[in-house]
Amino acid sequence: MTERTPPVVVTAGLGKTFKDFWRRPRVTAVKDLNLEIRPGEVFGLLGPNGSGKTTTIKMLLGLLYPTRGRISVFGKAPTDVSVKARIGFLPEESYLYRFLVAHETLDYFGRLFRLPARVRKDRTERLLDMVGLRHEAKRPIGEYSKGMARRIGLAQALINDPEFLILDEPTSGLDPIGARQIKDLIRALGDKGKTILLSSHVLSDVEDVCDRVTILYGGQQQAAGDIGELLRKTDFTQITTPALSADTIDQLRDLIRRLEHKDIITVSNPRVRLEEFFLRIVEQAQAANIGTSGVRGAGAVPEFLSQPTKTTSEEVVESLVAAATKPPAPRERTATPLAEPRPTPSAEVLKELLSPPPSPPGAEPSGRPPRDLRGDRAPPRAARKGDERVIQSLIEGVEAKDEPAAEELP
Amino acid sequence: MSKTWAVARHMIAEGLRMKIAVVFLVLLGTVVLSLPFSISGDSSLTGAVQSFMSYALTATAVLLGMLSIFLSRSLSDELVHRQAFLVLSKPIPRWQFVLGKWLGITLLNAAFLAFTGLAVYGMVRYLIHTHPPIDDHFDKQELNNEVLVARHAIRATLPDFRKPAEAEFERNVEEGRYVDVPDFDAEAEKQRLAKKHEARWRVIGPLESRQLLFENVLCDRSPQNTVQIRYKAEVTNYPPDEILRAAWRFGDPAKGTPIGDVPIRHVVGRFHTIRIPANLVAEDRTLAAQIFNENPFDGEPQFKNILELRSSAEVEVLFVVGTFEWNFVRLAALMMCKLVFLAGVAILATTVFSYPVACLCSFTVYILSAARSFLQEAFASAPASGAWTLDSAKEFLAQLILFVLRLIYWVLPDFGRYDAVEDFINGRNVSLVWVLQGVSEVGLLKTAVVLGLAMLLFHRREIAEISV
Repeated sequence: MTERTPPVVVTAGLGKTFKDFWRRPRVTAVKDLNLEIRPGEVFGLLGPNGSGKTTTIKMLLGLLYPTRGRISVFGKAPTDVSVKARIGFLPEESYLYRFLVAHETLDYFGRLFRLPARVRKDRTERLLDMVGLRHEAKRPIGEYSKGMARRIGLAQALINDPEFLILDEPTSGLDPIGARQIKDLIRALGDKGKTILLSSHVLSDVEDVCDRVTILYGGQQQAAGDIGELLRKTDFTQITTPALSADTIDQLRDLIRRLEHKDIITVSNPRVRLEEFFLRIVEQAQAANIGTSGVRGAGAVPEFLSQPTKTTSEEVVESLVAAATKPPAPRERTATPLAEPRPTPSAEVLKELLSPPPSPPGAEPSGRPPRDLRGDRAPPRAARKGDERVIQSLIEGVEAKDEPAAEELP
Repeated sequence: MSKTWAVARHMIAEGLRMKIAVVFLVLLGTVVLSLPFSISGDSSLTGAVQSFMSYALTATAVLLGMLSIFLSRSLSDELVHRQAFLVLSKPIPRWQFVLGKWLGITLLNAAFLAFTGLAVYGMVRYLIHTHPPIDDHFDKQELNNEVLVARHAIRATLPDFRKPAEAEFERNVEEGRYVDVPDFDAEAEKQRLAKKHEARWRVIGPLESRQLLFENVLCDRSPQNTVQIRYKAEVTNYPPDEILRAAWRFGDPAKGTPIGDVPIRHVVGRFHTIRIPANLVAEDRTLAAQIFNENPFDGEPQFKNILELRSSAEVEVLFVVGTFEWNFVRLAALMMCKLVFLAGVAILATTVFSYPVACLCSFTVYILSAARSFLQEAFASAPASGAWTLDSAKEFLAQLILFVLRLIYWVLPDFGRYDAVEDFINGRNVSLVWVLQGVSEVGLLKTAVVLGLAMLLFHRREIAEISV
């Protein structure tokens, strides 16, 4: 049994009450919050406006001090400078300097991490490529649109190749392309072992990328858990197949009635999501080289972000013990090597990145199921036994129908 | 410190690109470049140069002081517009952030001061070459000897007036003159008598003389070198032509120096400078001088021609100890000390208050520091703070205000003490000791106190705190 890796963030009984001018407590923004964010997970902080998401994030960054409870990030107080060196932060709005150009902005933040000049320059170029703003890098940020500034905000959050990325409303102000790119990026970074805290009230964003979520309301935790578990409707079964004829559907209905004594509730053609449709149209326009003064196709995730994260001493010991007892199995999230960044749309690169690496013989199954970001939601992780029986008979039935029927379905 | 430097660089870029500093730079350039064409002084070249330098350097000190305060808005803006959220989520200690802001303002000030200094120097040279000469040779000589130099000044060592005062006091006691005086203060009476003797000494009757001794005249004593005597003699009754008739005698044969007689015919009531050979200074670095009230104006009664050497205008010996250029550099260093302190005050204020309040606080400190000598005078005449009574609320309030003012007085540096512009434009040496005192007291000690406080307060501050 391996020792559990220490969590990145732990809060216990965390509370924050804002006071008025006379120091009288007035508004309780966060109350008795217990969080645990584990290394390598994409954690969602959900809640309506004023639910305490941003206040919690500010406490994690040491910008606000808790009035109750305790908080630790990487096992230390959030005000510790060494902790901040491992964090990347994208605030809810792009609090950038209007008089600096994009290059200077990234260079400034790089200097605050004491990155050598060569590294700063290299990362700045790559991040500007990634957010698709290299061609606008010499313009003052004050002249940028909100979405463009947001992209630079994201780039600055990644300049230090953070182990822990805090994203507060990352898709706010972005067009659907930008929003999708951010989500793709979050997923890609998550797959590369980064720990990500995503705060949002855009539910689809959280649903698309998060492993676990906590829902806040009135500063208090209302629900928490694995997103797959929380959202699964175990009372229903959904089967997706290529288009079926009305006759086949009738036969299926009969089959289900006979086996399960239940009726099919809806039969319909699935619709493509508007997001997908929109992105396809834009991609076609980009392919046709239609000019734009805005953001162009974003580039690949920079190589430096895909390097394995630093291992703690415990992880080193753990890996040594594991090496002594079993053959090495590559970690799913760090196994895919990144090619040199190319000026191609991030979706392509990400698709390549996210394709499962060839597993060596005897490798353990990965902890996280593969997720198709370009398509619909991930398939359910497990089907109930009763469902399996029906599904199996359905498959057999279809196969039987495709071929010349040997015998009729009962 | 690379993070501090990064913040400082950023501060400089902000100052230049947000136009605040550029506006001040243009204003400074306009003042310096337009002054020579708009002032005339006393129509002499020396007067024009002195007037120009006085106005230009005073304007520079005031404008850069204001710039220091306005630039501190950067820190306030970062808190209001929340860029500080982003910066302070990076691994930079807060004290380094504060230090970086201060350093950025200070470096901008230093650059602007250097720019203005060069502009002033260039315009002085321009004035010398273009000013219409009245008496070209005399004017330029006066300028070179009395303005474009660094001269050390020594005042005469006055006789000890306490001795005759003590003697007179003893006589008066013996004669019983104080017997009926209520609350008699012997020490105050002795001081009064000493002042009376000094006043008598300063008045030189017709055909009388007074001896003055200057010590530590550490000049180059070679015969071709000269030292200057600067004096202003008043007369109780102006002669019709307003010309002072007197004579100086310098040197002490007992110490092996030659004697130098200098008859003077100057306009009364004005400062005059005469030059004497440096070998009149004795080997022990003393210079003996004697002034004669030589001759009354023809036809005037002698008793009216009384000459007076007032304490407000002491006779001085001046000798060159350095160049104008290095003197200018030392003056700039003293000016910089004040700017360094003001930048610290402005940063401290912005770590605590919102910008308008911080700005007001900083300006108040600026004005109080400049007027500290007036505060000193006010305290001298104020009742002793030991007399605390609560007889009335008014008195209590007055004592409280006085206490606060004394505290402020103690904390604030005395800008007037380190204001060297007047000395500089009169060709006086801005001594290295003076500069070091300014640097250590204002530039280091008091700035460190102010900055330390700013760092402490900023460290404890909840950056994202809101008051509801």
